[in-house]
Amino acid sequence: MESKACQALVDEVIKRDLCTFCGACVGLCPYFIAHDGRIVLRDHCDLAQGRCGTFCPRISLDLEEMNKAMFGTPYSWREVGTSKAIFMARSTNGKIKGRAQDAGTVTTLFWFAKDEGFIDSAVMTLFEDKSLPKGVIVSTEEEILACAGSSYVATPTVEAFNRGAQEDDRKKIAFVGTPCQVLALAKMKGSTQEGRNPIGKLQLVIGLFCTWALSHPGFTQFLEREVSNPIIKYDIPPHPANVLQVYTEKKRIDISLEHILPFVRPACQVCHDLTAEFADISVGSGRGEVLEWNTVIVRTPRGMEIVEGAKRKGLIEIREIPKENLARLERASFNKKRRALDRIIQKTGSVDDLLYLKLQAEIARQLLAE
Amino acid sequence: MSNIAANAPNTSQLLMGNEAIARGALEAGVGVAAAYPGNPSSEIIATLAQVAKQLNLYVEWAVNEKVALEIAAGASFAGIRAIAAMKQNGLNVALDFLANLNLTGVPSGLVLVVSDDPGGISSTNEQDSRHVAKALDLPLLEPATFQEAKDMAKWAFELSEEIANACLMRSVTRISHARGNVTLGELPHLENQARFDISRRPYASIAATAPKFHERLHQNLSRMSEIYERSPFNWYVGPKSPDLLIVTCGSGWFHSKEAVGILSKENSVGILKLGTTWPLPKGLISRYFLQTPKVLVIEEIDAFLETNLKELSADLTTGRTWTFFGKASGHVNPFGEITPDFIIHAIADILKVNYVSRSVDYQKKSQTIIKESILPRDSQFCAGCPHRTTFWAMKDALRMDGRQGFVVGDIGCYSMGLASTGFSQIKTVHAMGSGMGIASGLGKLNQFGFNQPVLAVCGDSTFFHAVIPALINAIHSQADFLLVVLDNAGTAMTGFQPHPGTDMNAMGAPSPPVDIEKLCQALGVKVMVTDAYDVKETTQKLIDLLRDEGKPRVLICRRECALIRARKENPLYRVRINPDKCIGEDCGCERFCTRVFKCPGLIWDRNTKKVKIDEAVCSGCGVCVEICSQEAIFREANG
Repeated sequence: MESKACQALVDEVIKRDLCTFCGACVGLCPYFIAHDGRIVLRDHCDLAQGRCGTFCPRISLDLEEMNKAMFGTPYSWREVGTSKAIFMARSTNGKIKGRAQDAGTVTTLFWFAKDEGFIDSAVMTLFEDKSLPKGVIVSTEEEILACAGSSYVATPTVEAFNRGAQEDDRKKIAFVGTPCQVLALAKMKGSTQEGRNPIGKLQLVIGLFCTWALSHPGFTQFLEREVSNPIIKYDIPPHPANVLQVYTEKKRIDISLEHILPFVRPACQVCHDLTAEFADISVGSGRGEVLEWNTVIVRTPRGMEIVEGAKRKGLIEIREIPKENLARLERASFNKKRRALDRIIQKTGSVDDLLYLKLQAEIARQLLAE
Repeated sequence: MSNIAANAPNTSQLLMGNEAIARGALEAGVGVAAAYPGNPSSEIIATLAQVAKQLNLYVEWAVNEKVALEIAAGASFAGIRAIAAMKQNGLNVALDFLANLNLTGVPSGLVLVVSDDPGGISSTNEQDSRHVAKALDLPLLEPATFQEAKDMAKWAFELSEEIANACLMRSVTRISHARGNVTLGELPHLENQARFDISRRPYASIAATAPKFHERLHQNLSRMSEIYERSPFNWYVGPKSPDLLIVTCGSGWFHSKEAVGILSKENSVGILKLGTTWPLPKGLISRYFLQTPKVLVIEEIDAFLETNLKELSADLTTGRTWTFFGKASGHVNPFGEITPDFIIHAIADILKVNYVSRSVDYQKKSQTIIKESILPRDSQFCAGCPHRTTFWAMKDALRMDGRQGFVVGDIGCYSMGLASTGFSQIKTVHAMGSGMGIASGLGKLNQFGFNQPVLAVCGDSTFFHAVIPALINAIHSQADFLLVVLDNAGTAMTGFQPHPGTDMNAMGAPSPPVDIEKLCQALGVKVMVTDAYDVKETTQKLIDLLRDEGKPRVLICRRECALIRARKENPLYRVRINPDKCIGEDCGCERFCTRVFKCPGLIWDRNTKKVKIDEAVCSGCGVCVEICSQEAIFREANG
């Protein structure tokens, strides 16, 4: 994979509205900082090649090569990424379920992994009320639980991993985050860049299904106008409900998505990854008859190890995913890929220029023709 | 060491030109001296300040040059001889007052010394102050030697009283700052008694009285011209009828002598050295003109003397003409400092003499040596300079703000904010206080779609010198700007002189300081204070203030100049590097501290590939500890 230096990151990613704000370029050096919803280059580094460009998921992405490296199989456009098993799961712990976004699977798996010594720390995203969420690295069950819940705002959580990995007393780190963040970690794994690659400490990656993320400060300012009481939870119920549900201490406010969509990050428009295809385990919400469950995709032996271990200990219960749900998920995943390709070609004007995607024009044409 | 107050007439001392001028003023019985620091003039008043108590002088570092001249004029109105000193830019500041003072005149000797800076070595321009003398019909003197600097300064007071008006004396760097032997004269035993005569006609020119006073000035000029005819400050060396007559003044005298000597042309080139250069002593000059067909004029900066001599020659009714050489003909450089080399080549060209200054071989060799052993070096802030850290915080805050904000500035050490040592933050530098004035304009462009944050920077000294009126203007107009006052407790760039914001005066006595923060509060503008060494806090305050837009805001960044502090106290910290933690050139640092932050106290060791502290340079401020991203720099508080 090619690596580029800091100016390339600014010119080719940030200035072209492709930046997902994953945070992979931050926390490695003093030059990039994440501030107020933007990645800022505060000074120039003279290096022709750097970890920032290597880790960035929006520079030089060869999905075929990455899939082979991680899973040993070719990249699948039609499936929901490479998988060993797909099923529904939910926590058996009442305390977790009461606090969680959906069925508490992620929190439970992290608690298990920590208990069993697979990990000593977890990188997660913490939000409080309407303030900009932040990536944190945590060690205790209480801290892990406190991070449960999604704010739907893009957060540079990989920065927290980059920084946390530098702490000597953290040796085994887990990560939960969005597909773009997971993609950055996968690029990190495949990096031939010498020295100081934090990836060595990464033990477990859980990716979250994601359609889009919202930008700060636009969305934050909107919330401040619309919602006066402190917010404790956000949710977007499945289609056809077209709302963002905002739970305050007092009540629930439903805001039509048409008011929310203007705050979607432009970078999300060209994202191809619905199910975090390069994680150990990918987790999303359920719908229909399995509304109270999480959809879980296990992709790697490590992922399998964690899930089966948690199941054996009775911390999670498992059931099969309804065929209709899986078909729908696969369709949604494929549509996201096509939309992404379509929008990239709209940006560049030519199927021969797919920006950062290392994909043959012929394959792109085929995918779009379907 | 010079002893400027020595009561030792006819003894000799090695004096700096500025010291000699100060001594001349003392020998004239000066009572009051005022100035604003400005290179190359600062030592004149500094020298007088040192002996103020001893000799019963009143000496001030005034808030600006206009007030300095007004102070001196006030003393003169009350019968006390007074001197004001400034650099060429300072004359511009004083000009409004001077252009009225010349019409009202003064009863007691008032001498205004202006030290120009040819080549602008330490200035924003290389303006030639002499034009002001002609424009205001005031007498002009230019010393050419150190002895003359003293004798002229003394005589200038007599001339001033002869015509009851201010007298201008123009020096340049090579006279003001070089040294030579000076034979001292007597110090007078005066009892200076100040009294203002309220019965006399007021010192004022208003309504239609100006032409009358103007006429009086022209009459003065004629009288002065006659006095100049007999002046010992004009002399000639050379043959009776030279092939070429050099007319020169000021530092041109030494350069011309040297050039003529090198060419061994003493027998065919004459040098007329004028010390009285406005008005011109017509008789004297025309006598020497009549002996030669060719005139080469040598002077610093503009063709002032040259043009005046051409005017003079046009008025001579002899029917003769002369060929003039100088700046207009291209024989002497019309910008930058003059050097003997220019004069040698000019003479050689005019007299068709073959002269090779050095062999081509020598030129090639010297350029190779220069390339190999003289490294290019940027100008830099000192180790520990609070301006470095303030500009660092501004750079970060503006980048994080993300709206292409920028900084406009003025004159001081922090003008180096233009360069890489100040992270190239400053985008405009003109005169004292100009940044604030420009910001007052930029801050009202909202209606034209302007949305870039504007920061104006100024120093604590320039704040008092010129920023206050512009700040008041911008507060009243509700301009959208942030003024950052870089308060390092002194007028640092010119030599750490006190100013109204410090607690001491020029003579070393305690003086109540004017508090900038309280003043801003009284003006009703939002003002915050921060420690310039606290990079994190300063950056955050800047970010917050930048966000609080649409109105005037002031941030005072306080921290004593590192050099002022170093004279009084031990370093704050002992700073050291842990080489095990330093990752140097690797991705993750890439020499952030030496290459980007650039404190000269940090050096990059190409052999070990690690950063080191240069203990001879490091001031012990400890700020680099916050800059290093690897915690490889640590500090221990100095006991």
